[in-house]
Amino acid sequence: MEHSQEDSGQGKNGSNVSNDDPMQPRAAREHKTFLYIASAGLLFLIAIPFFVGEYYVSLASEILIFAILTSGMNLLLGYTGLVSLGHAAFMGVGAYATAVGSSLLGYPVWFVMLASIFVSLLIAYGIGLLSVRTKAVQFLLITLAFGQMFHAIAEKTRYTGGDDGMTNIPRIDLSFMGLDADHDRAFYFFVLICFVIALAILRLVVDSPFGRVLVGIRENEKRMLALGYSTFPYKALAFGISGMLAGLAGSLWVQHSFFVNPHIMTWQMSGEALLMVIIGGSKAFFGPLLGAAFYVLAKDFLSDITEAYLMFFGLLFVLVVAFFNGGIAGFISRVFNKFKSPSGKDGQ
Amino acid sequence: MLIFLMAVGLTVIFGLMDILNLAHGAFYMVGAYFGYVVFQTTDSFWISLAIGPLLAMALGFLLQFFVLQPLIDRGRTAHLDMALLTFGLLFFTIGLFDLIFFETLGLTFMSIDKPAGLGSYIDIGIPYPTYRLFVIVLGLIVALAVWLLLDRTVIGAVVRAGVDDREMVRAMGVNIYVVFACVFALGCWLAGLAGVVAGAGLSIDINMGVQILIPTLVVVVLGGLGSVKGCFFGALIVGMTETLSQAYVPALALFATYILLAAMLIFRPQGFFGRAPKTV
Repeated sequence: MEHSQEDSGQGKNGSNVSNDDPMQPRAAREHKTFLYIASAGLLFLIAIPFFVGEYYVSLASEILIFAILTSGMNLLLGYTGLVSLGHAAFMGVGAYATAVGSSLLGYPVWFVMLASIFVSLLIAYGIGLLSVRTKAVQFLLITLAFGQMFHAIAEKTRYTGGDDGMTNIPRIDLSFMGLDADHDRAFYFFVLICFVIALAILRLVVDSPFGRVLVGIRENEKRMLALGYSTFPYKALAFGISGMLAGLAGSLWVQHSFFVNPHIMTWQMSGEALLMVIIGGSKAFFGPLLGAAFYVLAKDFLSDITEAYLMFFGLLFVLVVAFFNGGIAGFISRVFNKFKSPSGKDGQ
Repeated sequence: MLIFLMAVGLTVIFGLMDILNLAHGAFYMVGAYFGYVVFQTTDSFWISLAIGPLLAMALGFLLQFFVLQPLIDRGRTAHLDMALLTFGLLFFTIGLFDLIFFETLGLTFMSIDKPAGLGSYIDIGIPYPTYRLFVIVLGLIVALAVWLLLDRTVIGAVVRAGVDDREMVRAMGVNIYVVFACVFALGCWLAGLAGVVAGAGLSIDINMGVQILIPTLVVVVLGGLGSVKGCFFGALIVGMTETLSQAYVPALALFATYILLAAMLIFRPQGFFGRAPKTV
């Protein structure tokens, strides 16, 4: 799952043609591994609601929703190398668009969902166009600024309930399948479908030439520029797609929790999402999913003991950044590689 | 002026050492909480003002010397790694203080009493709180001191030389790690000082570190990362923007600051007084 090495290696040699043949089987093998992991994971996810209680099903929905958000963020963080502290804003845009459309304007939820995804894509793309001109720390600050702007708007807008937010948001109507989405199990499957679609799209993006360019930007933006790629549109589009997934996550989140308030747009929220990505492992495709699962479960467990769960996450975050650059996923693949070939390359 | 104190600390650390210290808010909290503890035991504002920031300073020194510097030496110089790490630290501090002061001790509202003589109003055309005047004067003195220290003394020269060429400074017999740790500690001391001052002017709570961090970042960006002079004007601009927008367009009060930040980053990312960015 770690594309970085082969990609940078390819660029360094500058002799892509001769490299092509040995590369091909490896890519195919990787693809196969990916399919194995994905289908095993999917089976597991489908099985969950049949074995655990209602509460944990609802928790599982939460995990999947956050996984959509964090996987989207990872397109920026892990693949393109951009850290955004404003992603909660797009989640908020998706959430508010859904809430306003279904609760205030009365459109059917499926239509509102599509619309809110589209809206978050547009807004994120627009903001991406402005933001990606800055680099590194400036990028982090500018996304923070935009994120806080949206938070301020949400807090000041009377129409959407200001600081209190809105309640009684309907869930999607699944009655055509004979299901009632108000039941957490049925809703879980709906979230799962959205999750699979979202990750499939993301996988296609990552595997496409477009995704390769993004990795190239992360590894060495100057070289990409020298190769004749104008990197701005690539980064802006990556930002847009990432924001779109955040919007989808937001849209599912309001349906999951039946309410929305400006809190989901604060930068602490973006920070927590960032935490999930880093803890899970930003270099691996499924890292953010692992991170989200770990985060939600650990938070649920810890908040029984103490309100101050942030303390543990902060500490964990520091340790992961300082010592385990790959997060959980990096750790797993390192252990896995050790079994496969003791002399194998290090995951870093 | 509070924000100005914060911003000077942040800009010193960033400008001289290239570390975006998001944990700055955490050191601010350390200052406020420890100042409160000192105040409770000694019952004197002045003692807590003197001692409170010292803990933040010590922690800053340890953090830089034992955690950040080794990481930088291992080749993890990326700004983002440092930003993320200190960000985690901020979360950690918030959680820790929540646990100690709120859950264990059950304190919800904390404040340091203003010293006698600074609790009243002074007439300068309009009644103006003496304490605010004190904060302004304090801020100016500190800013001047920091600027003099870094720009006009041998110590400052060593620090600036260390930023440009670390190896050369070491070759001349200076332990640059200690110097860097001291600079970091100085920045943290400023944050701690701002914390104690805030503890007396406002109240102390869990969110204070996060709340002040954003305007501080705006000020630092406006002024140009690393410029003490820029901080001063940045703080003025942010303060004016906030007050004016609150007075004339209250709906945009929060908004205006962020627009300022975003516009600045788009059109002049190096700030008003920053050096042109070095090619990375």
